[in-house]
Amino acid sequence: MPAGHGVRARTRDSFSRPFRKKGYIPLSTYLRTYKIGDHVDVKVNGAVHKGMPHKFYHGRTGRVWNVTKRAIGVEVNKQVGNRIIRKRIHVRVEHVQPSRCTEEFKLRKLKNDQLKAEAKAKGEIISTKRQPEGPKPGFMVEGATLETVTPIPYDVVNDLKGGY
Amino acid sequence: MGFVKAQKTRAYFKRFQVPFKRRREGKTDYRARIRLINQDKNKYNTPKYRFVVRISNKDITAQIVSANIAGDMVLASAYSHELPRYGLEVGLTNYAAAYCTGLLLGRRVLKMLEMDDEYQGNVEATGEDYSVEPTDTRRPFRALLDVGLIRTTTGNRVFGALKGALDAGLDIPHSEKRFAGFSKDNKQLDAEVHRKYIYGGHVAAYMRTLIEDEPEKYQSHFSEYIKRGIEADNIESLYKKVHATIRADPTAKKSEKEPPKQHKRFNLKKLTYEERKARLIERLHALNAAAGGVDSEEED
Repeated sequence: MPAGHGVRARTRDSFSRPFRKKGYIPLSTYLRTYKIGDHVDVKVNGAVHKGMPHKFYHGRTGRVWNVTKRAIGVEVNKQVGNRIIRKRIHVRVEHVQPSRCTEEFKLRKLKNDQLKAEAKAKGEIISTKRQPEGPKPGFMVEGATLETVTPIPYDVVNDLKGGY
Repeated sequence: MGFVKAQKTRAYFKRFQVPFKRRREGKTDYRARIRLINQDKNKYNTPKYRFVVRISNKDITAQIVSANIAGDMVLASAYSHELPRYGLEVGLTNYAAAYCTGLLLGRRVLKMLEMDDEYQGNVEATGEDYSVEPTDTRRPFRALLDVGLIRTTTGNRVFGALKGALDAGLDIPHSEKRFAGFSKDNKQLDAEVHRKYIYGGHVAAYMRTLIEDEPEKYQSHFSEYIKRGIEADNIESLYKKVHATIRADPTAKKSEKEPPKQHKRFNLKKLTYEERKARLIERLHALNAAAGGVDSEEED
C-alpha cells in the first residue's frame, strides 16, 4: 500500500492529547483575547477538530493579522525552496496560545523607561543598552595544597600477578 | 469468600484521569458552559452575561455572572430568602417565588446600570410571552439563561425565574415552550394557566382541595400559611403586592454579620516559610553550640 499524504498524515503523535489530559479542554483557552499584532504560538489541540491548521504550522510562532468570531488569522514564516514566504492562516482559538517570545522584551522596555525617567529626574546620563557577559574577574586560589605526582617504575612481577 | 482478585490495581490508578473538580462534584456541565461562555473574538473584552438560576431545597439563587480567567464575576444576585423583605415569607421555593426572585434580580440589575426608567418591562404579569423592545437610547441588557444541571421540563421553576427577569426588562433569548401552561397538543402557551402559576394559583387550588378533603393534612402542610393568615383567596393579591414592592425598591441591602468567633485549635498551625527558616537556624546554632565545633557562617 502507498504511503498516503493526506492532510493529517503522520500526525498520530503530534496531534494526540497528552497523557491524562484528554476530554474537555480548560475554558481559559476560550476566555483569552487576542489583538492584531500579538505574537502567538500555534499548537494543535487534537480534541477540537474544527479550524485545525496544517501539521506544518504545529509549533510555529507568528503574528496575529486578523480576528474573527471564533478564529484568529496568524502570519507565519514558511521556507519554500530558496525563499521565506509569510503565510497567512486562520486557526481556531483552541489551537493557539499566547507567545512569550516578546515577554522579556516588553519587561525590559518597561524597566528601561523607568530607569530613564529616574535618571532624567536626577539629571545623570545612563545607558540602558544590554552588554554581553565580559571576562570573569581574576581571583586568588585559596586553600590549595600541592601534591607532586611522579610515575612509578614498572614492576613486572606485581602487575602480572592477576592473569598471564 | 476466598481470594478475590483486586478490581482496582495499581495500574488502574496510574492511568486514571481525574475529571475536572466541578465535574467530580457534579456541579458544572462543561459542555454547556463552553457554549455559554465563548465570546466572539472580534468582540474582545465585551463581557457575556449569564442569567444563572439555581434552586436548592430551601432557596432560589438568581445571579448575573460574567466569566473571567481569574474566576466568574457576579454582577448582581438575588435570593429567595430576601423575599421576606418584600412581604413574602412562605413558599419561598415555589413557581411564584421563582418569578419574584427573577423579577427582583432583573430590576436590581437595571437599577444598578441606571436603565430602570427606560426599561420598565411588563408591569402587569399576564403570563403571555413578553420580549423587551429596544428603545432609541440604549439597547436592553442581554443575558443568556444558564439552567445548570436540571432537566428542562415544561413548567420548571427556573423558567418561572426566567419569566420574572423577562418581565423586569432583561433581554434573554427564550422560547415559550417551557413555561408552565404550554400544551404540547396545541403547541401554544395558555397565558391564563401561566398567569395562574405566576400568582400562586396552583398553590391556592391545592389549599382548597385539602381544606375540603383532608383538613388535618391542610393544617400540617400549610401551617406556616395559616400562622400568617394567608388563605387560598388572598394568595394572588399577596403576590401582586410583592411585585409592586419589588419594583419600588429593588436595591440590595448589605447584611451586617458579626465576625465569626475564634474556635480553639486542636492541631498545630502550619508555620510560614520565614518561621521555618528561623527555626532551622536556631536548631543549627543549638547543635553547633552543643558540639562545640566551628560555627558555619552560612545557614542555608
